[in-house]
Amino acid sequence: MSEHKNVVKSNSKITKKDFKKVFLRNIFGLQWGWNYEKMQGLGYCYVIMPILRLLYGNNPEKLTKAMQVELGFFNTSQPMSNLIIGTGIALHEEVGIDKGEDAIVGLKSGLMGPFAGIGDTIFITIYRALVFSIAAYLALDGQVVPAMAIPIICGLLIIGVRWKFLFLAYDQGSKLASGLGSQLKRITEAASIVGLTVIGALVASVVNAPIGITLGAGEVAFSLQEMLDRILPRLLPLLLVLLSYWLLGKKKMTTTKLIIVLMILGIGIGVFNWWLS
Amino acid sequence: MDTIPFIAIVFLTLYVGIGQLDQISIQIGLYSPLFAGIVTGLVLGDLSTGLLVGGTLQLLTLGVATYGGATVPDFLSGSIMGTAFAIITGQGFEFGIALAVPIGMLLMQLDVFGRMTNVIFQHRADRAAARGNWRSVETSNMLGMIPWTLTRMIPVFVGLFFGETVVLAINDVIPVWLMAGLRYAGGILPAMGMALLMRMLPFKKFLPYYILGFVIMGYVAGITILGVSLVGLALALIYMARQATVSAATAGAVEDDDMEVEIDE
Repeated sequence: MSEHKNVVKSNSKITKKDFKKVFLRNIFGLQWGWNYEKMQGLGYCYVIMPILRLLYGNNPEKLTKAMQVELGFFNTSQPMSNLIIGTGIALHEEVGIDKGEDAIVGLKSGLMGPFAGIGDTIFITIYRALVFSIAAYLALDGQVVPAMAIPIICGLLIIGVRWKFLFLAYDQGSKLASGLGSQLKRITEAASIVGLTVIGALVASVVNAPIGITLGAGEVAFSLQEMLDRILPRLLPLLLVLLSYWLLGKKKMTTTKLIIVLMILGIGIGVFNWWLS
Repeated sequence: MDTIPFIAIVFLTLYVGIGQLDQISIQIGLYSPLFAGIVTGLVLGDLSTGLLVGGTLQLLTLGVATYGGATVPDFLSGSIMGTAFAIITGQGFEFGIALAVPIGMLLMQLDVFGRMTNVIFQHRADRAAARGNWRSVETSNMLGMIPWTLTRMIPVFVGLFFGETVVLAINDVIPVWLMAGLRYAGGILPAMGMALLMRMLPFKKFLPYYILGFVIMGYVAGITILGVSLVGLALALIYMARQATVSAATAGAVEDDDMEVEIDE
């Protein structure tokens, strides 16, 4: 085979070029066909198609079966999907669709849930708490270039991590999941600490709730805001955040309702402030 | 500025389509209310309004994400329209935020519609797979991009094209006191973004770090948000080192930390 030196495993048909195809489809196309019935199912089949064609291309029956299996229900965190797809490729190659159908379905349905949990925490919650909160802060500060550069650079780094994930999973096959779990847990903890420190700092800087009330009159007049600042600067923003946090813990509270509560509260205080000044 | 040039409407319509594809794929940033606000501001020649609308909406929506395919308000489209309307009315960024939030919530329904429409393509792919037609399975997935993008592009085009008249009319009747109220509301809305993140992260467990972040930012003059995040990183490293010592002491073995550092970077 001409591309023999490009193969990832020594006795494999799959080349680096095939991996690139799968990777590009994975980062861009996994969710194009997202739907309520099979969610990322259609996308998953699309992503792994180059491998299916390579392995079963000369056997229509196997190809049909493989496509039908891979079109099944699937949904997980996008960055983590690379790990599942990498493992899936290894299974197709080592066991094949005829004997490996159960293993492939089991792999996908077994890992997508736990991986979605870990992935959403790391790549959405913590990622946004760090990257997009800092970017938003910089934007409010008028610094347009860093506000856009930081998310783009971090986004590219995530793409790099996903490329590594794909190979790691292909290389280690199904052994991977157990070892990775405990490591990701510790990374999540460390990242949560950084995230919460930044959120604490944001509360003190981006939530704006000044009070325009002046107590007393004439020579003895003093502003309530100045008085509060002497006790604890940014006290009101902190109270508003804690109020929101508490409200979100209520059973029937949704983000939509909370937005409405905050809008009404904000308009109320704002009008009151305006009326006093 | 009192009207939106047609070419700008076309550009922003294309942008929201690309932004939506970014949202469902690599999430590099185009999908974020932040970028949408900045780009709209640049296109309409008022960057500072774009930065303020985008930045504020971003903070508000930090914790609002589509976990497991749930539908959330469309703040990408909301940010574009809110920024544009703030600029053409000249009412300030608070007005833009006050418009962007309800627009985003209204457009939620179209997200549901788009995800439903894609079921057609899933069925198309199922039939194609049964015939062994791999090419048609691939096209089915690609066709899914059409509902995803049109459900954003159509409302943004229509909104910017016809919304102008409506918004300018609102602008003429809106009283000064209400604008003052909206301005204040714009300032406190980011509280929700913070609170949502606190709900999702182990807030109670790591409360001391939150307090430290708040106090450092609130009291140390001249410190920047990047400075505080480095303090956070230092604290996290200390925490991890201590955890490693504890587990080494209890298990009687030192864990291999090399791998972890690699991934962490």
